[in-house]
Amino acid sequence: MYKKTTKNQHQRLLFLGAGETDFGMQGENDAAIYQVLPILEKQGYQLFLVDDNPYSLALESGQAQTIVATLTVQNVKAIIKEQQIDGVFPGFAGDRGLRLWQQVMAEWREEDGPRPVGLGIPDSTVDLMNDSAALFDRLSLSGLAMPQATIVRSQAEANELLRDLELPLLVRAHHPAQATTRKIVKRLDDFENAVDQVIEQSLTKEVVISKAINGLKEVSLLVLRDAAGNCLQIGASEDMDPVGIHTSDSLTVAPTLTISDQVLQEMRTQAFQVANLLNIQGPVHVQLALDEKTGRLYIIKVSPYLDYLSNRMALLTGYPVMLVAAQLATGRLIQEIELPDSYHEKTAMMEPVMDHIVVKLPVFSFGDLKASGVRVNRQLNSIQKSVGSALGFGRTFIEAMEKAIRAAHFNNRSFSPKYMKKLSDDEMIQQLIHPHDNRVLLLLEALRRGYEIDELAELTKIDGFYFYQLKQLLAIEAHILDGEPSRQLLNKAKSSGLSDGLLARFWDSDFQAIRELAKQAGVVPTYKALEPSAGEFPENAHQFFATFEEENESVPVSNKTILVIGPGAFRMGDGASAGYVTAVVLSELRALGYKTVIMNNNASDASLLPHLSDKQYLEPLEVSDVMSVVDQEQPEAIVVPGNRRKLIEALTALGQKVIVLPKEKHQPMGPEEGESEFALNIFYDGARAFPLVLTQHQSGEIRLIDQDESQVDLSGIRLPYSGVYQLIWREKTRKWLDQVRLPDFGSDTWLRPMPYGQIAFLSKILQLSLIRLVVRSWKGGLDEDDLDALVAHMPALRGADFAMVSNRTDFDLHLKPDQPVDSTRYEMGAKIMRLMED
Amino acid sequence: MERHLILEDGTVFSGQGFGSLATTFGEIIFDTATSGYQETITNPIYDGQMIVFAMPVVGADGIHAEAYESINPKIRGVIVHDLAEVSTNRQRRMNLDRFLKQHNIPGIYEVDTRKLIRHLRETGSQKATIVDVVDDHARDQLQATVLTNKQVQNTATSKAYSNPGRGFHIIVIDFGLKNGILRVLGEYDANVTVLPYTTSVEEVLTLDPDGIILSTGPGNPEDLPESVLTLIHVLQTKVPMLGIGLGHELFALANNSELTTLPAEYHGMNHPIQEIISQEILYARQGRGYVVNPEQLDTKKLFVTHRDLVDNSIQGLRHREYPAFSVQFFPDGAPGPLEAKRIFADFFETVVDYVQKNN
Repeated sequence: MYKKTTKNQHQRLLFLGAGETDFGMQGENDAAIYQVLPILEKQGYQLFLVDDNPYSLALESGQAQTIVATLTVQNVKAIIKEQQIDGVFPGFAGDRGLRLWQQVMAEWREEDGPRPVGLGIPDSTVDLMNDSAALFDRLSLSGLAMPQATIVRSQAEANELLRDLELPLLVRAHHPAQATTRKIVKRLDDFENAVDQVIEQSLTKEVVISKAINGLKEVSLLVLRDAAGNCLQIGASEDMDPVGIHTSDSLTVAPTLTISDQVLQEMRTQAFQVANLLNIQGPVHVQLALDEKTGRLYIIKVSPYLDYLSNRMALLTGYPVMLVAAQLATGRLIQEIELPDSYHEKTAMMEPVMDHIVVKLPVFSFGDLKASGVRVNRQLNSIQKSVGSALGFGRTFIEAMEKAIRAAHFNNRSFSPKYMKKLSDDEMIQQLIHPHDNRVLLLLEALRRGYEIDELAELTKIDGFYFYQLKQLLAIEAHILDGEPSRQLLNKAKSSGLSDGLLARFWDSDFQAIRELAKQAGVVPTYKALEPSAGEFPENAHQFFATFEEENESVPVSNKTILVIGPGAFRMGDGASAGYVTAVVLSELRALGYKTVIMNNNASDASLLPHLSDKQYLEPLEVSDVMSVVDQEQPEAIVVPGNRRKLIEALTALGQKVIVLPKEKHQPMGPEEGESEFALNIFYDGARAFPLVLTQHQSGEIRLIDQDESQVDLSGIRLPYSGVYQLIWREKTRKWLDQVRLPDFGSDTWLRPMPYGQIAFLSKILQLSLIRLVVRSWKGGLDEDDLDALVAHMPALRGADFAMVSNRTDFDLHLKPDQPVDSTRYEMGAKIMRLMED
Repeated sequence: MERHLILEDGTVFSGQGFGSLATTFGEIIFDTATSGYQETITNPIYDGQMIVFAMPVVGADGIHAEAYESINPKIRGVIVHDLAEVSTNRQRRMNLDRFLKQHNIPGIYEVDTRKLIRHLRETGSQKATIVDVVDDHARDQLQATVLTNKQVQNTATSKAYSNPGRGFHIIVIDFGLKNGILRVLGEYDANVTVLPYTTSVEEVLTLDPDGIILSTGPGNPEDLPESVLTLIHVLQTKVPMLGIGLGHELFALANNSELTTLPAEYHGMNHPIQEIISQEILYARQGRGYVVNPEQLDTKKLFVTHRDLVDNSIQGLRHREYPAFSVQFFPDGAPGPLEAKRIFADFFETVVDYVQKNN
């Protein structure tokens, strides 16, 4: 499968895991590590991974020796020595990895023996990345423009600066302890406060202050560089919103549409220059700002490591960014990269080109929070507020955007068009200038109310192109409202990304009737392959998206296919770990000999990795999208998460065999403050329930109770679907208990599906993959071996000294809630901690 | 208005007309670059051809003054999936639709361009026509059409002109010059004289050049008169020379080597090109229907300096005796990556050498 093998310089390689997920860290790094392990193993490396992220998929990989340990300097040093590690990948853990690796290097003593080599990024660059002033100097000396920055150590020094610098100013921490946060200060009144807050986030109590460049156009480039200095561009995407709104919170589009070739080539040249200056072997993500009035470019951020853009560009272009990045880090040149046979033999060397458009929309959780009474500041600024993102793939901007809206909006109340109509003109202007999460709908409403494109472009600093496009969308909508469902109109509507459901609403019909009409008129999706050569070469592509043209390139995988419906965008609560669950389902189905097809629209987790399934559809997950794929693939069964009740009903009504993966409809509830929630965790194989383990849950933390519950009588339990469940009861106690008095399970407890995050955690601690067992039970109960394994873990209970902690997300920073957010219910991420370590 | 594209092999694609609504004939090729549609459309190398853009949305950046590669585009047709309206920026007064109307160039959009490109990839470049109605008449017209092989005459200047600077005197022999070459020469403050390709050796030498550039251009180099090869053959012995695109192909022909015709032309900017001496990889805009045949390269006279790592084609040649070299790709970008601009730096180094030795 893999061609040549060159001699490996280093042998025993350690991946630093990225740790808990958070704003801007949705599991991309874990997915990247999981993806590259097989190819590195084939190339003869001994691989190790340390992580404390319970949702990690890579930690359950068979291709590396995996170590669950808190990501501390002490632990990493101990592992390096014990396992005789000679190479470490810091960049696969993003900027956290760089910070950790820098600390390990700083605390490495002579008596520790030879220090392993940092792969992909030179030691000096690791230092540079943690010292923004030095980085600024280095880039400026090479003629690259960054907004002028000054470091101050006190409020007094900061005030001094105010005499020289005009507002707005960008204030951020120097040597940040956690992910960098940036504050834009527009009013003098806010300045002191911002400096105060940021100084606390700095390890050295220093603050970097620079001129803010709000309102400029923001573009992100991803480039790869090899040890010989060869650079290639993987892709570029532009933000619809200007600098000043966090790129994660903006609609973004790839490839870039409104940037001229000359400017784009200048950006590319600068990005290559940065990669060369930093001497990177692997990916560099460069964010640039373009001042269209002067033509000046500014480099606003440099990320010489794997981050969300690496995964996203891999999915957008079909270019295997991670597989190439890992090999570049080990020292291979771009001509020496080995790829699986499904790629054209020259794929690694060719810059990918796209013949489709992809729109990314942020997903916010404001609605979910509001539902539980928490009000947050919805105004978008330079601090990320979105918790996830959804992608729309199409052949026009409108199609891609509509599909992204459909992919992002389900369960999101802020996207209601009714809400828009109630907005007064004053509120509208306020929100045009100070954007909220409902950006696209607001722009549409402004156009509906007759605002001119020029004034909107001026107010919002959004390129006129987008308004022309949105206007075109309104025209299409008006056309549909006035028209009859003709073939031509149906084709226009569907190739604009509108769903059968929406058309049904426009035409006072129902989804099924529209679907039939479209079918009769021959308006059926054509699936286009997503591959990196834009049609120049035949590639054995496995990724497809729907559009409405002439040629359908997708051929059904087999007559024994299982279709898996992905979880969509990353959300707070147990959505955070849904990528893990989906990936394990795919992996186990394949192990059982099924052909698998996945539908999803989220680039951040592992579920869409090319090697996990036989085919990937990058689509919204509404009923009409799913039914079209069902028509195309004729699957034997469809696996659907249990919270998608409407979809389950619709598919069942259409005669499909649906396998439900139990999941609660809303966020899992957790204990109130001062209260403990106890759970008897059980496995239900479709006929019988087996007790697993007892857990105690207090706000932000879950522990196992070392108590034998194997004799509990669960014979009365009958459930519709096999899966992992919890029998829940609560008590007013803040003490962690060694023994708990069991309630009467028949009357004093209630039953719910186990939240995905806890499934991921318990699977690791019990060393028993619960999801694999669930999948194996689908063919009609578990076999003897599995039943033995299920029973065998219990007497020798493992893991009572581990806890899952989810209290570290900084909601105050990102969302400014009016009351504390309960991190148990709204977990963004979690950590496995050994209790002795407390 | 619904219009149709008919290929020589009989395949029909339908879409909506834009630009000029005239009937058009040309050789159809495809381009995989995602940026620079205006530069591509105005590049004189596309005289007589129609382009299918793989990039599905074309026109979103409008039309602006810095992006002309020639003032009068010679392209015969533009085929896209989605035609975008433009923004209202001062630099973007014109949109693509109006621009093509103005220059009498037909376009067609809402075409399944990916299907078309996959088809052309297999069946090769061929004649095509854009028409209002698909009937026997249209098909017969297409079959009967003989496409011109006089593209260079049609495109290149017939009169000498200068683009003054205060630096070296560089003569550009025009075979269908694109502006990018003049733009880069301007960056070197070169004193440029552009000459028709019919200029005689004596006339060229009388102007006392410090260096000569054989420009890019359209069509098959073998359709040009023999005198061009003689001109190159003599001039390369006297003055530093750089051939680009068609100029590279002519440079090879003038040095006793032969070309092959590609079954499907390559137009794009994503192939890795390796500089053999340094092993370095660069990316550059390419637009080629012909390449130098490695079997029929006169290796006594020339050696290969660059190769395309995807199809292994020859991308650069250097003369063993004279300060003369050439590249198949476009080192001026416009559109395309700028890393190949170092070819001009190499050229000017050669020029400096020559000037120092001959003063």
